[in-house]
Order: sequence, then structure tokens, then C-alpha cells
Amino acid sequence: MDLTSLDDEALLRLIIQRNQEALGVIYDRYSRLVFSMALHAVGDRLAAEEITQDVFLRVWEKAGTYRSEAAKVSTWLASIARYRSIDYLRRRGVRLDHSSIGWDDLTPGSMPVTDNEPEDYVEQESEHWRIRRAITHLPEEQRLVLDLAYFFGLSHSEISNHLGEPLGTVKTRIRLAMQKLREALKNDLPVEK
Amino acid sequence: MVADEHVTELLPAYALDALDAGDASRVDAHLKTCPDCRLELKSYQQVVEMLPYSVPQVQPPAYVRERLMEQVGATRSVSGEQRADARAASGRTLSLWSGLTRAWAVVSLVIILALASSNLLLWQRVNRLQTTVQSSMRVINLESTDAAPGASGLLVISLDGEHGTLVVDRLPQLEEDYQYQVWLVENGNRTSGGVFSVSSSGYGSLWVSTDLALADYDSVGITIEPAGGSPGPTGERVLAGEIQAQR
Repeated sequence: MDLTSLDDEALLRLIIQRNQEALGVIYDRYSRLVFSMALHAVGDRLAAEEITQDVFLRVWEKAGTYRSEAAKVSTWLASIARYRSIDYLRRRGVRLDHSSIGWDDLTPGSMPVTDNEPEDYVEQESEHWRIRRAITHLPEEQRLVLDLAYFFGLSHSEISNHLGEPLGTVKTRIRLAMQKLREALKNDLPVEK
Repeated sequence: MVADEHVTELLPAYALDALDAGDASRVDAHLKTCPDCRLELKSYQQVVEMLPYSVPQVQPPAYVRERLMEQVGATRSVSGEQRADARAASGRTLSLWSGLTRAWAVVSLVIILALASSNLLLWQRVNRLQTTVQSSMRVINLESTDAAPGASGLLVISLDGEHGTLVVDRLPQLEEDYQYQVWLVENGNRTSGGVFSVSSSGYGSLWVSTDLALADYDSVGITIEPAGGSPGPTGERVLAGEIQAQR
């Protein structure tokens, strides 16, 4: 049976039954996503490799805890990767290096123009392209707080302390950033700053 | 309502799990009673679902997959040709049972046996690098060579002398194309006990089983070989220990 044609939930059901090939297929589908998240958060390839292995091992062990009504499998996986990376950073008391934070490489001019739609991309590539394009239209201070909140797991007050900015300012920036992204993704059009 | 507006403003951060505890509880409580806010929250959760795709996408190296599959107990996928060579060389199947759980099962069983038989903590025994031929499992200490100073290893042999578990620590991680290979030596003949890789801290373990009982070999060694293993040792030796001499 060719497992690669099965959807994620079917693969998880097989994983619960200890089907190692199913784990392999899930790994092949999402290892790049997990590794990239970990690498972005921890900045260290070897640590990101270990985190990746841990995440899929956890999938192997905890596939039975996945609830389809709560989230898609990819979201569940990304969540495990996110919290595992944050946990890694916390346990090592890592100081955040701002030079790598905030999606610095994304500028409005660096994205393809809207009439070159990536029709031949696979679904993950197009998601990647869409969110990155949406982010190019966020001012730098909004990108920074979003990155700190999502990938580095900081709360409002932790971000405020970390940046030395007022709590109200941080709250507003996060809210505005998320509202803008929501608009941009809904319309798939460039957003006014 | 003012209270509702305030909660609405917190929903984006709630979706990010970035609220401080006090705000988070308020939103939790409010969501239970407000379907509009639950819907609004969902729209922000959809944004959060996209964030993982926002970073540069990088492929992890192939050995991460191999290690994962090893850890869940899969047989290593040695290429067909190498597998045939290994069979031809030793006349038996390579089966690898590496995994921390197995190493710990062995160690905990040894602790139980040691406590039952002699009241001495096994850890003390292992640390003193002793081996015994009484009712507890033999522990062969492996010495490191100049090729891997600082590395250490133990080969714990089962009570019946047939099989064992190898545990190593502080062995350098190898590049993608290489792995460590275990060799059992008897009368100058070298038999492969399997291949393994180590974690970033240099820790690794392997279930070792060959046609001959492990206790019947003269010595054990670990060398660096091309990934998947070689029919005979070709690379540098990193760890070695005596099996028969200590009887």
C-alpha cells in the first residue's frame, strides 16, 4: 500500500497502530517545516536537528492525543515544534540576538510582483509565499514583536521588559500586526502601512 | 460594552499565546460565553497557522530521519548491495536494536539484579570499571584512543553471555557519510556488531548480537566507517576493550 497518498489524519491513525512507514511519510511531509521553525528560533543547526527529531518522536508517542476538531495535523505539528523550541531556549537561558529577528530579509521590494502568481508551487510553497508577502508590509517594530511573541514565546510583559518599551505600546503593535496580516491574507492584496 | 471591547483587542495576542496570565484568564472566561469572540479568535488563529511558513525553509540533513527511525525501532535501511556484502562477509543478518529505552531497560535490570544479589549499587561498580563473573551482567569498559580522546563506552553483556548493549558517550558526531561500527574480535577474525550514530552530545547506544556469543570474543572495538558499515574495519579506531582477558 502506498501510504504517501493518505491524508495526514489517516497517517496519524496508522502511527497510533505503530506503523513506522506512516511516521516516515509524515516526517517527509513536515520535517522541513519543523526544522525551519526550530532553526529560526534557536539559531543553531545541531540543536534544530535534535529538536526536529524530538518533535517527530513526540508525534510517534503522542499521536493518540491529536484531536482533529482542535486543529489540522500540520498546525498540531507546528505547535509541538514551536513549544519545543521555546522550551529549548528557556532551559538554556539563551539571550536573544535581535539581528536575526524580525524577518529582516523580507522587504516589499524582495517579493515577486502580484501578477507572477506561483501557480506551479505545491501548497506549502504557496502558503510560504503568501505569509511572507503579507509580512513585507508590516513595519519593522511590528515584525519584531510578532517574532518575539510567536517564535520566542514571549508574553506582552516579557516583550515590554525585553525591549524597554511600554506595555501598552507592545500590546498595540501586536494587535495591529495581527490585524494587518489577517487583512492581507484574506484579500491577498498589498496592505497599506 | 467596554469590557467586551477590551477582550476583543486581546484576541490577536491570545491566538499567539502571548497574553500575560491575568489577561489570558479574562479572555478564557469571556470566550465561554461569547460566540462572536470565538469566531473572531478563529480568524486570528488562521493567521497564526501561517506563521510557521514565514521563515526561510531549510531541509534537515538525511541522518535526522535515520536517527528518528532508529529510535522508533526500525531496522536500519542499509542499501541492498551493502547488506549483501555484509551477509557474504559474516553469513548472518545485521539486526540493530539501538535505542535509549533498550539501554535503560538493561541498566535498570542490572541495578535490580545487583541490589538483589549484593547490595552494592551498580553505578558504583560501573564507575569502578569492574567486571564480575557471578550472577550479574558483565560490564566491559572501553578505552578511548587518540582518535577520540574523552570518549567513553561500556559493553554490557547479558547473563547468558549471548548478547549485549553498547553505550557510548562523548564520541564526536560524524559527517553524513560516516557512522561508527562495532567489531567483535576472536582469534584475529573481525565480526561486525552493527553500526550507529551519536547524538550531538556524543551519546549513543546499540544492541549487539552476533552468531557467536559475545562473551566468547577476545575483544571489542569501534571504528569510523562509511555510513551503513563495511565488511571489515577500514577506518580509525576510536574505542576498544578486552572481553576474554578479564575472565
